Amino acid sequence: MIWIETIVNGVLYGGLYGLLGVGLALIVGVMRVVNLSHGEFIVLSAFIGVSLAHVLPGVHPLVLLAPVAVIAFALGFGLQAVLVNRVVTRPDPFASILLTFGVAVVMRNLMVEIFGADPRNLPAGRLAHASTTIAGLQVGVLPILILVVSIALFTLLQLLIMRTRFGRIVRATADNRDVVRLMGVNPGRVYNVVMGLALALASVAGMLLAIRSSFTPYSGVERLLVSFEVVVLGGLGTFWGAMIGGIALGVAELVGLRFDPNSGPLYAHLLFLVVVLMRPNGLFGARS
Amino acid sequence: MTRTGRMLLGAAGVAAAAGPWWLGDGPMRFLSELFLMLAMAQMWNLLAGYAGLVSMGQQVFVGLGAYCLFATSIALNVAPFWVLPVAPLFCAGVAAVVALFLFRLREAYFAIGTWVFSEVVSLLVSKSERLGGERGMGLPTAKLIDPRWLEPLTFWLSAAIAAGAIAGTYALLRSRVGLGLMTVRDNDLAAASIGVDVWRCRFVAFVLAAAGCGLAGAVSFAATLYAAPSLAFDPNWVVVMMFAVLIGGIGTLEGPIVGVVIYFALRELVTVVFNLSAGWYLVGLGLAAIGVMLFEPAGLWPLVRKRLGGDWLSVQRQPPPADTAAGATGDRTATAAYDRTGVRSP
Repeated sequence: MIWIETIVNGVLYGGLYGLLGVGLALIVGVMRVVNLSHGEFIVLSAFIGVSLAHVLPGVHPLVLLAPVAVIAFALGFGLQAVLVNRVVTRPDPFASILLTFGVAVVMRNLMVEIFGADPRNLPAGRLAHASTTIAGLQVGVLPILILVVSIALFTLLQLLIMRTRFGRIVRATADNRDVVRLMGVNPGRVYNVVMGLALALASVAGMLLAIRSSFTPYSGVERLLVSFEVVVLGGLGTFWGAMIGGIALGVAELVGLRFDPNSGPLYAHLLFLVVVLMRPNGLFGARS
Repeated sequence: MTRTGRMLLGAAGVAAAAGPWWLGDGPMRFLSELFLMLAMAQMWNLLAGYAGLVSMGQQVFVGLGAYCLFATSIALNVAPFWVLPVAPLFCAGVAAVVALFLFRLREAYFAIGTWVFSEVVSLLVSKSERLGGERGMGLPTAKLIDPRWLEPLTFWLSAAIAAGAIAGTYALLRSRVGLGLMTVRDNDLAAASIGVDVWRCRFVAFVLAAAGCGLAGAVSFAATLYAAPSLAFDPNWVVVMMFAVLIGGIGTLEGPIVGVVIYFALRELVTVVFNLSAGWYLVGLGLAAIGVMLFEPAGLWPLVRKRLGGDWLSVQRQPPPADTAAGATGDRTATAAYDRTGVRSP
């Protein structure tokens, strides 16, 4: 029974990992940019959430998800418009890597200077520990909520990209940024919105993760690694692949922790290596 | 190499050999650190700049080198510097084995794969009680060395490793394998089609870079007499390597030197001169990285070289002088176009 419970919790937790990674998958898929500051933005949104919760003491942290996501969208839009768009057309893959790496280092250390290096978390009152019994299984309310939010956001993203006019423009830009210019699309503007969306999604994940476990300004590196693993496991550019990848990592981590208590993310990493070595393009990537 | 170049090199060698007698303890420790970082940066440059392998897990070899030296030295109860060769050999062995697996991954996948591999090793070492777990391990055998000689020995070793890393990379790149490497970096498909063994070229570079990082890591931690997983497998090792190479100029032998000097100058300027906390020099480092990518994406060395002129440590092959070979000008532009180390001729 305890194993089933662990696996269920892993699935619920993994939805969050998927959410961390899907923003990165979106950016890689649309503009082929590897954003090394993804983790720092996740942590920054958690800090913004904590600060907002401090200013507005009566408001439940889940309500704060919306304003934080809006702020993250604006930050992403600005990051892309001011910095990344200047290097995105360069054929040299190092340009965007080093640029976002610089942004990450600056952000991480500014956060240390501003917020201090102590571990924080986002207090969610009773919700953090509330649990319910479903079919004889003890399941936390928060993890269920997290999975519901993740699936809702994944569905919305899928609809946005596949069914709307904007989504069509994004896909066209991803296919060929030079040809869409002939149709009157400004690829730079599309990229701005995509980066904003990616970071808004990441900020929701960052907030939810901050309720579940504590974070410091240095947590960005771990978050980035998880996001990368999710993207690579799922196969570059597939959203549901990212979700499945996240769930696989979540289950591996929690099951691993169950029979080997001080293993940390060891088993998630091992699963990642095994899967990627067997299928170098990820679970859902095209075989080349 | 010109005669002045040789004389300068000789003078630098003599100055380094005599270092312990004219440098204070502080500067000597500082320079040791700088030399080791330079060697590591040069290794990362060999991988990313010449072999087209972007490793984000190079810190795994720094840590493995350190742990391997500590464990061997303690097990055999001999002074750490006597068993130093085990560190690069062990790292080369590990690299040769993991290359079989990791080389299946390409580009970004390879970068993440190496990073995850490093995290796995770090977690395994933290769980190993024999290696001290998360608390880390000390180096009691260091007392077999006369304490007065510990610092000078570290200094000489570091200087030798840095010189060896640069000379070794130079020699490698001038060799057949080096030529192969550069074709692989520029276009692996084209390289394979003219008969270059892409896999073997990359394998050689990966194994050598692992050995170099292992050696530098071993000396670095032997000097502090203490290794812990959070320090030895710290991703910041690769962050600094990456910074130095990309700021200085990737794919040039001088670039990492320029980058490492800038890195340490920035650190000393902010922490010593302005007396600010270490966080601020990292902020400066990040801003420098952003600035270089926006305004001088090839790094700073090509810019400096354009001003100074000369060949420096270019691995470019020169055609014979014009009077012995007809049409040499044509050859010269052809080789120049091949060489990313030089200023790309318009």
